[in-house]
Amino acid sequence: MSLHVPRVLTAAIASFALTQPALAHEQAGVAGGLVSGLLHPITGIDHLIAMVAVGIWGAQLGAPAIWILPITFPLVMAVGGVLGVLHVPLPMPEVMIALSAVILGVAVAARLRLPSAAAALVVAIFAIFHGHAHGAELPRAANALAYGIGFVTATGLLHLCGIAIGTLTRWPAGERVIQGLGAGIAGIGCYFLAQGLGAVA
Amino acid sequence: MKLKPVRALMAAAILLTGTSAADAHIVAARLGDFYMGASHPLTDLQDVVLWIATGMLAGTLGASKGRWLIPVFPIGLLVGLSLAPVFATVSTQLADATMMLAIGMLLAAAAQVPTLVLCAIAFAVAVIRGAANGAELGPETDRLLFAAGLACVGYGAITLTMALTVLFKRNADSVTSWRAIAVRALGGWIAAIGLMMASLVLAS
Repeated sequence: MSLHVPRVLTAAIASFALTQPALAHEQAGVAGGLVSGLLHPITGIDHLIAMVAVGIWGAQLGAPAIWILPITFPLVMAVGGVLGVLHVPLPMPEVMIALSAVILGVAVAARLRLPSAAAALVVAIFAIFHGHAHGAELPRAANALAYGIGFVTATGLLHLCGIAIGTLTRWPAGERVIQGLGAGIAGIGCYFLAQGLGAVA
Repeated sequence: MKLKPVRALMAAAILLTGTSAADAHIVAARLGDFYMGASHPLTDLQDVVLWIATGMLAGTLGASKGRWLIPVFPIGLLVGLSLAPVFATVSTQLADATMMLAIGMLLAAAAQVPTLVLCAIAFAVAVIRGAANGAELGPETDRLLFAAGLACVGYGAITLTMALTVLFKRNADSVTSWRAIAVRALGGWIAAIGLMMASLVLAS
């Protein structure tokens, strides 16, 4: 036993001495682009709940919506992203993003059944605003392709989460849980809406 | 005996934390440039995304159409590599993004692309990427070995992706089966990535 401690110490010292300095250019290059692209949609609560709500609503609407949405949604987001990158101004982006959470949450809670074309239009308008926010806040140094991959993957996975939660609609109790979730999303959206309008500091 | 796992762990920890950047002296070995050509595309995101997209597009169209790419793609890479000095100063980023957008849209729409068009798309991708890979050749690199490595990895990557997609879609008899949707959704993602990248390239 007495020999162990020195050995462990030597090992620890050796391993510390041999480590390379970490290059902490977080926002640069391929890795930085991937990380910021992946984290960007996840770190904003207003974005996150809206993306999940779109998935849940798609699952509630059933047959055509549940498979049209995952195919077209990232593409529409990317169109918004292009507008953001090119700094095309959109009216009141913060308010619209909060509003999207409110409306999508209410749609889930009320089990609102719109015709699929109307639902697609509602989702598309909000998706453009969400994409715009992501595009406008892109770190300049990051690798463009890596940022795109991270951003689209994160959005797609959030969407998939929503669809997975939405499969609860098969059971009557699950349907209630989902309506509760929708109400919660709408509530959080209301908070962000108030914040966007300047009512809450 | 009891000490062994601890020791092994310790050794592993030291080795892992103690790694320094590998000096790629394999390049100096006789066949080093072959491996350089083979590994270079795999370290580049543009290559990885575009090659997978091309392989998937061919795979969704079925083996009878897709097998034409097995010779077309490596030949395209070689043609691109030989054209590299011509395009040396041009950035291929915008062309890459456009190809991603186009292939992604075709995948998402589940379009029945004619064989000739498929071959043309794959050839264009291969030429662009071959030129991009060739642009980073050093003056002392053995061109022949590099080209051989690039063609081999192109052949392997495109054939594997295509075969995996064909296998994955084998049981997808209807348009709305989840396998067919998964492939189309991935196509939508690729198109979105291409669109984002194109705008970022244009903006910078």
